Amino acid sequence: MKHGRYPFIIGFLIVPVAIYGTFVIAAYVQAFQLSFTNWRGFSPDVSYIGFDNFTKLFQDSTFWKAIQHHILLLIFLPLLTIVLALFFAFLLNVGGGSKGGRTRGVWGSKFYRVVFFFPQLLALALVAVIFSRVYSSDDSGLINGLLNQVGAGPVLFLADKNLALWSILAVLVWQAVGFYVVLFSAGMGSIPTEIYEAAALDGATRGTLFFKVTLPLLWNTLQVAWVYLGIAAFDAFALVNVMSVDRGGPDGATTVLGLEIYRNAFDYAQFGYASAMGVVLFFLTITFAALTLRVTRRDAIEL
Amino acid sequence: MTEIFKPEVDRRTLLRRAAAVGLLATPAVTMLSACVGGGSDDKDDAADKPAGTVSATNPLGIKEDEPLEILIFNGGLGTKYATDVDIPSYNKLFPNSKVTFNQAEEISTVVQPRFTAGNPPDMINNSGSKLMDQGALVQAGQVQELTDLYAAPSVDITGKTVKDTLIPGTIEQGTFNGKPYVLNYAFTVFGLWYSGKLFKDNGWTVPTTWSDFTALLGKMKAKGITPFGYAGANAPYYMYTLLLTSAAKIGGADILKNIDNLEDGAWTNDAVKQAAAAWAEVGAKYSNKAFLGLKHTEVQLQQNQYKVGLYPSGSWLENEQAKDTPEGFDYQLMPVPSVTTADKLPVTALYAAAGEQYFVASKGKNPRGGMEFLRHMLSKAGAVGFTQLTKTLTVVAGATDGMEISAGLTSGNKALGAAGADTFSFRFDTWYKKLDDELRAATNELIYQGGTADKFVERMQKAADAVKKDSSIQKFSR
Amino acid sequence: MTYTKTDGPAASYTGSRHASTATQRDKKEIKLFSGFAHIALAVWGLLVIAPLIWVILASFKSNTEIFTQAPFSLPSKISFETYQTAWTEAHVGRYFLNSVFVVAISTAGTMLFGSMAAYVLARYKFVGNRFIYYLFVSGLAFPVFLALVPLFLILQNLGLLNTYTGLILVYIAYSLPFTVFFMTAFFKTLPNQIAEAAIVDGASHTRLFFQVMLPMAKSGLVSITIFNIVGQWNQYLLPVAIMQGAGAQEKWVLTQGIANISVSAGYQANWAALFAALTLSILPMIIVYAFFQRQIQSGLTAGATK
Repeated sequence: MKHGRYPFIIGFLIVPVAIYGTFVIAAYVQAFQLSFTNWRGFSPDVSYIGFDNFTKLFQDSTFWKAIQHHILLLIFLPLLTIVLALFFAFLLNVGGGSKGGRTRGVWGSKFYRVVFFFPQLLALALVAVIFSRVYSSDDSGLINGLLNQVGAGPVLFLADKNLALWSILAVLVWQAVGFYVVLFSAGMGSIPTEIYEAAALDGATRGTLFFKVTLPLLWNTLQVAWVYLGIAAFDAFALVNVMSVDRGGPDGATTVLGLEIYRNAFDYAQFGYASAMGVVLFFLTITFAALTLRVTRRDAIEL
Repeated sequence: MTEIFKPEVDRRTLLRRAAAVGLLATPAVTMLSACVGGGSDDKDDAADKPAGTVSATNPLGIKEDEPLEILIFNGGLGTKYATDVDIPSYNKLFPNSKVTFNQAEEISTVVQPRFTAGNPPDMINNSGSKLMDQGALVQAGQVQELTDLYAAPSVDITGKTVKDTLIPGTIEQGTFNGKPYVLNYAFTVFGLWYSGKLFKDNGWTVPTTWSDFTALLGKMKAKGITPFGYAGANAPYYMYTLLLTSAAKIGGADILKNIDNLEDGAWTNDAVKQAAAAWAEVGAKYSNKAFLGLKHTEVQLQQNQYKVGLYPSGSWLENEQAKDTPEGFDYQLMPVPSVTTADKLPVTALYAAAGEQYFVASKGKNPRGGMEFLRHMLSKAGAVGFTQLTKTLTVVAGATDGMEISAGLTSGNKALGAAGADTFSFRFDTWYKKLDDELRAATNELIYQGGTADKFVERMQKAADAVKKDSSIQKFSR
Repeated sequence: MTYTKTDGPAASYTGSRHASTATQRDKKEIKLFSGFAHIALAVWGLLVIAPLIWVILASFKSNTEIFTQAPFSLPSKISFETYQTAWTEAHVGRYFLNSVFVVAISTAGTMLFGSMAAYVLARYKFVGNRFIYYLFVSGLAFPVFLALVPLFLILQNLGLLNTYTGLILVYIAYSLPFTVFFMTAFFKTLPNQIAEAAIVDGASHTRLFFQVMLPMAKSGLVSITIFNIVGQWNQYLLPVAIMQGAGAQEKWVLTQGIANISVSAGYQANWAALFAALTLSILPMIIVYAFFQRQIQSGLTAGATK
């Protein structure tokens, strides 16, 4: 077997890495290069200005505001999404009663499984349009229309500094849950039934089953989910761009790095500066991912 | 146990693998040098000289068989005016110049890479929410100077140069540090829009003083109508144009010039402060805070439903709402009432400006042809066609005089006549997008979030000073 | 082992039904639990489905109805005019086929190359493994729009601008981080015994992958395939940047066509047509998903009854 190993590894990696290197890495490397320039996006000539963009960046209060928002999203987006998704996945897979000695999901779980995934099918821009309507501050808003009828409204979801970011977070969770329900369901499906059987013989309730059996065995998947949602928390650009008051408002209350990068690149034509922000965002995200993977590492299967 | 469970890496295979990875990386690296740093710059001043023979029908001396590529923003104005009016007009004179027409929704996404690559379209309509920073384009030397175009004779207004046919101020609007680079083609007037029917039914009249104005707002409020409102979510721009209109009326048009030129204290003077205080009060008393969360479409539709009294906007509003305006609504424009009795400018004074940018790429293949295309847009036939198709006036003076196109357009035209020489505009919003963004947030704070005039002017002065100090931003002045 | 005996925790409840009082409590617990479960699932289902119903309703409404009336009020008249507009004037039909073509090829490519890379990264130790893995994962961490200008230039240099080949390669490249990330995790969870057995039987690495590991990873493959289909179907920035130039409009994908409507919607607003076009673009996704959903099911069942 030995002789076939490296040719095999290289053979499998060469095409993906080549495509990826040509269209993604090369483009990003160039963006990295630009972060040391004052390029404004229109001329073929660039001049290098060293670390000026980065020094400026660390004095930029908007940048720090965006970082704060990312920290909040970083904590709550994965937490809420994973809790909800785990809960639903558990119900759909083993939540039902037993029939003929076979554990099932609750009645109608097939239906739910299809429906829960719907938000994933929608382009983010469309989700943003829909939720602008849901949150709309007058009677035509889905929520405020109801609140106004009972005389409790209006709640300015997107226009209230203290609510805006949470309102957007809710949409992110709404969209993400379906994906993780499917992912966790797949994970739960691959847990050998013998394990459940053994646990059940010991008289385990559903709660203990979930915490003692399902959760530990899903650890790897959970870890991946956490990292991916964390990465998603560093994005949130598309929603903020379309939904928020005055793009990132009110008064910067919802701005995120992606939006600031976009604004600097396309609105202010400060590509160099925008690229510097992109580089910082990149390292933040990567550090987060690496840290999470390290901290949560359990005996992953290493061959 | 087979090998995959006990991996071993010997040095030889490791080196071989590294070499393979290195090989992969090479094409990516060499490609880079061909990118940003390596664009060619060999066609510099050729652009400014006629490529063909100058004649009466070819005053700009374009090469008659050189193809031309134009790119039109596909938004509110559509692209029909270009395909149905201007291209035929151009091709009538130059049948051998093949015109390639493209349209785009996202101008910067589509065009910016082509500038970097050195093959931009010849004439570009820079507009929409993703327009390119025109100042940065000029700074990068990508924009053709239009002096020759303005000096050329008009296509169909005999005896006049293109310059003579334009509404005064047009060329200045597209001037960057003394040289004309951009044609602002559409002409808009800005003010408060209302339904003529609503006013007639209630016997309301157009107020000219601030006390009459607030009295009217009070009457509207009593009727259960939201007297005044703008969409905070995406259109605070409309509100601050209104606010600065008031400031210009109080303190004279120089107030706006000082703001454009980033003069010290341009924001903290009394005129801006008074205007801010007056509008903050209107916002607090006669508007609806919930509008902070609405988009322009939503507020405009509410006005069409007679739920909003007065709405600040430009003369594009009527066309924008055409589909949803009920029969007999009758869009009318009201100039902003005078805030004080000692206002420097009369109540008829108007914010009026040429907008919608068209420019020629200096490093394109056919810059002269691009200019020639603009000459056709600026012909009388081109202007009439544009106004008919888009319900928008052009900068060609009096091109559509005597034509009945729509109630709102007529009303705007009338207000413009009444204003005479007292029209003004600002430029800082396109020169310094950063200042524009800050002003949007500050305006929302002032009107809907309980801000004060003092805080507003302090905040804006600080932002303006920051732009002034930032050496990476090119400064403009007028 | 037979099916009934091996299956699930509930087997024991059935088994001990007669004897203990504890089972009575258990039964009650189950009932309560599943009642609660139904409510929770139904609420979330409603939350998820309501906006979609809203989109469909809106496609029949006038702008005024959409923006000033209660969201779930019924349209004043039902007419498919907007759908006709979307189909004919906005050429949704043609762009639809273009999208199908591009996404079919690029998703297939993504899954093939993505799982090849992921497999090697997940199950083989070699120097540079982590490096390549993070190289792929790092692709998730950088905003795509910063890469647009360089990407344009790269494609131009390769002569791939405004070609389906270019677009497909770019789609594959930009889907790899996501695919590699999840598939690596998935391959790691697969049990060793079967792979070991295959190797003992003398299977080559390549055969092991295609004939043993891939079939075992079926449920993961199917899920990630769907996410890729959906992601590429909804991709907007990349085609806008790449599919331009002479005759580009013929080759547009669906999202570009829809944006074309939606931009005009901003001005002489025809939001109903926009929502009609959106409905037309969402429906096939739902159908594709509903179809593959059964595949996932069988994938899961296969896993559960092994």
